[in-house]
Amino acid sequence: MTTLEAEQAIRALASARQLQDPYLKRWLAREQAERVAILEAARKLRLRTGQLAVALDLLEEIAVREGAGIDSILSRESLQRLIQSEGPAPARASAFLAELRAIRFPRLGATIRRLDKEISALALPSAVNVVLPKDLNSDELVIRISVRSADELDWLMNVLAEKREGLARLVRMLGGDDDL
Amino acid sequence: MMTFELDEIFVEETSRASVLAHRVIEALSTRVPIRFVADARAATLADRDAADPFGKGKRRMVIMRRRGAFLMGCPAASARYACCGYLVLALASNCPMDCSYCFLQDYLADNPAFQVYSNYTDVFAELERLAGGSRERQFRVGTGEFADSLAFDSVTGLAREFVEFFAAHRNLTLELKTKTDEIDGLLAVEPRGSAMVSWTVSPERVYRSSERRTAPPSARLRAARRVLEAGYRVAFHLDPIIAYPGAEDDYLRLAEEILDTVAPEKISFVSMGSLRMTPALRTTARRRFPNDPMLLGEEILCPDGRYRAFMPLRLRLYRKIAERFSKAGAPVRTYLCMEPASVHRQVFAAPALAPADARERLCCTG
Repeated sequence: MTTLEAEQAIRALASARQLQDPYLKRWLAREQAERVAILEAARKLRLRTGQLAVALDLLEEIAVREGAGIDSILSRESLQRLIQSEGPAPARASAFLAELRAIRFPRLGATIRRLDKEISALALPSAVNVVLPKDLNSDELVIRISVRSADELDWLMNVLAEKREGLARLVRMLGGDDDL
Repeated sequence: MMTFELDEIFVEETSRASVLAHRVIEALSTRVPIRFVADARAATLADRDAADPFGKGKRRMVIMRRRGAFLMGCPAASARYACCGYLVLALASNCPMDCSYCFLQDYLADNPAFQVYSNYTDVFAELERLAGGSRERQFRVGTGEFADSLAFDSVTGLAREFVEFFAAHRNLTLELKTKTDEIDGLLAVEPRGSAMVSWTVSPERVYRSSERRTAPPSARLRAARRVLEAGYRVAFHLDPIIAYPGAEDDYLRLAEEILDTVAPEKISFVSMGSLRMTPALRTTARRRFPNDPMLLGEEILCPDGRYRAFMPLRLRLYRKIAERFSKAGAPVRTYLCMEPASVHRQVFAAPALAPADARERLCCTG
């Protein structure tokens, strides 16, 4: 694809998606290989307007963080698998953005996964719900219990007492008392 | 000595005969064009047609009368946070340095000119009232919130006058906060324990990436050593702490460098504050510095509406740095800036002090 062909194709897609002008300008300002790589991803994943804007933001941020070109970022196996696979585009597009977020926020993602694993390992009854703060933006762990009888309350309180050490560990992890 | 470039200087007619205007004109008139205007307020406004209105504004010095009060509570103070009771003197507005994370980019977006107030002696009456109103209480008053305290001191000579004023008031502590090594004016004055010079310090990597036109961290530490030897108290602000990969090692190394330079018992305090940005500041900073990776960390939106590093990462960094200072051989007072009381408890395993008590503690020389 020549530079001119790429620009025409990007403008056509941006117009069809009603992409805001600042995003289009930033897209067109990238190197040719980057512009084309974004175009290919947008087409194959059929990214909607909002998704395309979020993808551009995330790709630019990753590029600065890692000192890498966007074409090289998009060539990673985890992203190519989603771009090139045959499944339904909406699901692949969601997964693609989730993967970009994971690349953009690697330590946050790893910490959430570790906390989720700890919560699963507690094997709590379904009436006990442990809720992490959104994006780990606070040190507050919410433990919610749902009961329909006094007996159930007694049982769940006993369960919580038995799991106290594991729950305390979760709180300590949220407080940064863990290798990140 | 730092040299900062200015494009032009505006002097308001009512300030023309002031001591400040005389000093500036004498020092800079051969290098920078000077214009006299009846009302300088228009000169403080942003040039919206400029590619970088904030950056352009910084290069325009405006000498004018301050119309409002000089003395005020710290603008960061809030019931949401465990605050330090800091009071702020607005002697100038904006800063010739250009740190990518600086809150002034948003705070002063409409009035970015580098304003210096010619009627600064009016503040002495405000300070007399403060000191006389509660003689048994201590007050820490800083000039480094809306401007660097020392950046143009070789030209304005303000720091010296304030050091002399504070030296005569036992319950007032002056804090001169800076990222420069512009200390020559201070060395000629006897601070008599009432003046403290504090340095905002960052690891070398943050300095190189984000702190344009500031003195290198090593130069700031050397300057701290010199003012300490001249009788000043010294303090350090590790603020912002930026949680980039490798930050923990870098900040611990910086703590070592601080402790190697100034004995722990000679450090008045160390404050810590993680990088925090309102959405508006984040947008502005990223637009001005699109290639600074320090602005692209793992910050998430917090309950107070600011972006900060996610909690476990932030707490771990605070705790590690605080631990290092707590094991320095003598206790170093440390506190957090713009963090809720729960974060203080997590980091220091103790409840946060009330602002008035924190203020007393940070003024204390012992």
